[in-house]
Amino acid sequence: MSPTVNANGVGRSSPKAYLADEGRWESIDRVLDRRGPWTDEQFVGGRETKDVLRSKAKILVIGAGGLGCEILQNLALTGFSDIHVIDMDTIDISNLNRQFLFREADVGKSKAVTAAEFVMKRVPGAKVTPYHGKIQDHPPSFYLQFDIVIAGLDSISARRWINATLVQMVDEENPDSLKPLIDGGTEGFKGQARVILPTISSCYECSIDMLTPPTAFPICTIANTPRLPEHCIEWASVLEWPKVFKDKKLDTDDPDHIEWLYQQASARAAEFKIEGVTWALTQGVVKNIIPAIASTNAIIAASCCNEAFKLATTSAPSLNNYMMYVGNDSVYAYTFEHERRPECPVCGGESIIAEVGKDWTLEKLVDWLAARQDLQISRPSLAYSGGKPLYYQAPPQLHAATLKNLEKALPDLLIDGDEVVVTDPGLPFTLTVEIKYA
Amino acid sequence: MQPSPPSSPPNPRPLKLARMEDSIDIVQATTGTSSIPSYRPDAKQRRYDRQLRLWASSGQRSLESARVLLVGCDATGCQGLKNLVLPGIQQFTILSSAITQPKDVATNFFLHPDSVGQPIAQEAVRLLSELNPSVEGAARVDDISTLLQSEPFFFTSFTLVIATNVDPDVELALADLLWQASSEVGGPDIPLIAIRNSGFCGRVEIQLREHCVVDTHPDTTHTLRIDQPFPALEKHARELDLDSMDSMEFSHVPWVVLLVRASCWWKDNHEGRYPGQDKADDERSAERTAFKALLKAQKRKGDEENYDEALSQAYRAWTPSTVPYELQQLLETENGALVTQNSKNLHILLQALKLFLTEPPHLPPISPTLPDMHSSTTSYVALQNLYKAQYRADLEKFKGYLAQTLSSLGLPVDAIPDDEIEGFVKNSGGVNVIKGRALRESKEVQGGVRALIADSFSEGNAPYEIYLPLHLAFLSAERFFSQEKRWPGTSQDGDMAEDSRKMAETVRHIIRDAAQGFSGEIGDLATNAIAEVARGGFGTLPTTAAFLGGLVGQEAIKLVTNQYNPLDNTCIVDLVQSGIEKFRF
Ligand SMILES: [Zn+2]
Repeated sequence: MSPTVNANGVGRSSPKAYLADEGRWESIDRVLDRRGPWTDEQFVGGRETKDVLRSKAKILVIGAGGLGCEILQNLALTGFSDIHVIDMDTIDISNLNRQFLFREADVGKSKAVTAAEFVMKRVPGAKVTPYHGKIQDHPPSFYLQFDIVIAGLDSISARRWINATLVQMVDEENPDSLKPLIDGGTEGFKGQARVILPTISSCYECSIDMLTPPTAFPICTIANTPRLPEHCIEWASVLEWPKVFKDKKLDTDDPDHIEWLYQQASARAAEFKIEGVTWALTQGVVKNIIPAIASTNAIIAASCCNEAFKLATTSAPSLNNYMMYVGNDSVYAYTFEHERRPECPVCGGESIIAEVGKDWTLEKLVDWLAARQDLQISRPSLAYSGGKPLYYQAPPQLHAATLKNLEKALPDLLIDGDEVVVTDPGLPFTLTVEIKYA
Repeated sequence: MQPSPPSSPPNPRPLKLARMEDSIDIVQATTGTSSIPSYRPDAKQRRYDRQLRLWASSGQRSLESARVLLVGCDATGCQGLKNLVLPGIQQFTILSSAITQPKDVATNFFLHPDSVGQPIAQEAVRLLSELNPSVEGAARVDDISTLLQSEPFFFTSFTLVIATNVDPDVELALADLLWQASSEVGGPDIPLIAIRNSGFCGRVEIQLREHCVVDTHPDTTHTLRIDQPFPALEKHARELDLDSMDSMEFSHVPWVVLLVRASCWWKDNHEGRYPGQDKADDERSAERTAFKALLKAQKRKGDEENYDEALSQAYRAWTPSTVPYELQQLLETENGALVTQNSKNLHILLQALKLFLTEPPHLPPISPTLPDMHSSTTSYVALQNLYKAQYRADLEKFKGYLAQTLSSLGLPVDAIPDDEIEGFVKNSGGVNVIKGRALRESKEVQGGVRALIADSFSEGNAPYEIYLPLHLAFLSAERFFSQEKRWPGTSQDGDMAEDSRKMAETVRHIIRDAAQGFSGEIGDLATNAIAEVARGGFGTLPTTAAFLGGLVGQEAIKLVTNQYNPLDNTCIVDLVQSGIEKFRF
């Protein structure tokens, strides 16, 4: 093909003329100038609505990865002009099959910065402000400035954090403190999009029990009776690496580290006559890689941005409140209202009650908490409601000092109705659990 | 003989960490024993890592030989192409004679203000090509309907064609051309994906004449055969000396072996019947309870996990192994008389499978995969080896029947590559052949859509979901365009009422023609669907474009890799209520 590029630019409009041409919004204006049969009563339409969308609305995108790239593209095109994006990651070559704002030359650069620059270059008129860093590094006042927050994250703990932060930020006296959170997630051909109105509709924490628990292989299987290639890989990473390298931390992004694990796992597999250890599997197991493709991200991100557009313009009702999508067997979506959970530790009013036996030890209570699907915690630390430690996983001194409590009988530590404060590395808030003896 | 994509199973293995139902493919494994080569991934494998874990190298090879034509050039079509360029198709061409307008740039990420005044196809190709240096892009600046007349072979030279918001009459002519170029058995199949969207609403239609899926990726590929163990498995289970085992060994016998052993004992003592077989309800459940009690009684300490697993899987002892339902249906519709030298490999393989099934136990070949289970390494590997050996025996037997089939067709014995045969034998429950319908049938309201309309609107009925009414709204809009040469909702004064009235009249006409006893009232849902579709004025919202582009990309990947069941054949997208529905029209 030979593009007919005019060296002197004849026939092309200048960016200024392009931006001045309101007619370019024709397709979008059709649904902003006219109401539809399902359009909300509040809908004004026309100039006022367009102003909110194109000049006033300030929107935050969390994550500039697979979903984030799509979200930024869609927001800029629908007319949002004050877009902010946070991401702490840098670009890796394995991102390029879907994170389409990045090129090979960008490998190693900040995702947030690179994505913002690209979108501004491609869509004149859109301003994208990047933040290279962690969401936890920003105070609530930072989040208060936005009208809508869209999260396209793959980390559960980051999503729990932003969800809890936005719920806690709600001040009944100040309606502006309620920030709609639109959350998207994908895994292979599957995904979900949801709209969370903090304290009004079901929050991320309300549905935490819908997550599939991560596969954990029993340590005895890994150590003594491996059967699968995965068992050999876990042996290499969980048992052999610390044994051989002591304090050196395993870096799952370092190909030399993966290579070492792969060699160890292969040797062990050969010894046990187990087949199937490959480089890709080794990497997949130790990095917990989730398959990811452009098309699913496109569908979920489009759905999230469509909700942002509808919220900002009231041109159509917003999703109430959850859409799950499955694309591996024909196409399928299920839209439903996820109910709030009264005992949700983030947005519910009721406290969690631990019905315990008089014969329980503290250790049994700790295990019981860690096993609860609706809490999704792995290493809980416990304290009396006054703050005195009951059992701490870290730091080492506190751990050592409280370890002996584990074997004590619960009635020796707590009486009926006592409240226990639970913290956990995966939990972005403290949890209060009330003790009830059966 | 038409080449069809190789059907070897995923390598690298599917990512999911092993759970109870996950399997290990012991034949495909590549681990060496003495020196261990590295196989460190190269740059290309690293780039595609996250998708290779879904469709494997075989799917990637098919993708990399796919040539895709986009007819028309708008935001939706370009979003669809984006999702194909990124994973790495071989080549794409965009056909459009249009010149870029500011309103195109405003909705399409693959245009720039600099593109205004330039041929839109060239501009979009340039910006889409940036996404992946290994994909070739080409623009064809020509009028679609002229080219359909003058150069039909241009269209039939592609692997797959996507038509995005093309003039309905031209779209139908294209569909006819591709339908005729594809043939029922054998011959190239050129699927057409047709897109239509207006505002918050959209539709994707797929026309495929016949499509083979070599791997649907079923949830499980295990063929455990607890109720009908193959001889080596039965012998292994019967000869197990449980009494002489120490408690460690005893608690690590795989549940599969425990169940087969208990089932054999049961049959020996019950005239060859499995628990509950040929019994009335209450006696049946009594026998099953007795069988479980028998297993439970074998426990020594009570906490043996392998027995707990056996008990939870006990239903397999009275669930007869059969040919999976979908495969049975597929074999019934496969007409051997139509299979020729030119048939796709899957048809030939299915003919050979029919012969294979004439032999006892009249079941598909054993798969070499086994779920993980509580077991010692040695017992597990020993059991695995039994399945592996039986798989090999079945494979040899299958190859015998295949040779017979090939020779009756006048084809050489090596006409189908070994890895394709092996992939089929390992996963015969995970194949599918879809016989599609012509788009013309749906547009003329024949077949599936006619039946659904009749069902939904007859005798005072009305549909209770928005999706069929939305389809009718799109259909009436297409007829509107054919007559008026403009889309509804685009009149100069911005008025939609008159256009909506005409659409409603067309919808009423369509329903009256299809539905007996139709009241004449199209109902609120259809009225609202028409209003919403007219409101969009067939403009493209970037979000609707991205959503449909995602669907189109996904379905195109399935079609060119011959993996995963594709949409057959219509999907309605409603982004007002954020829902989608599929139909077979
Ligand atoms: Zn909640």
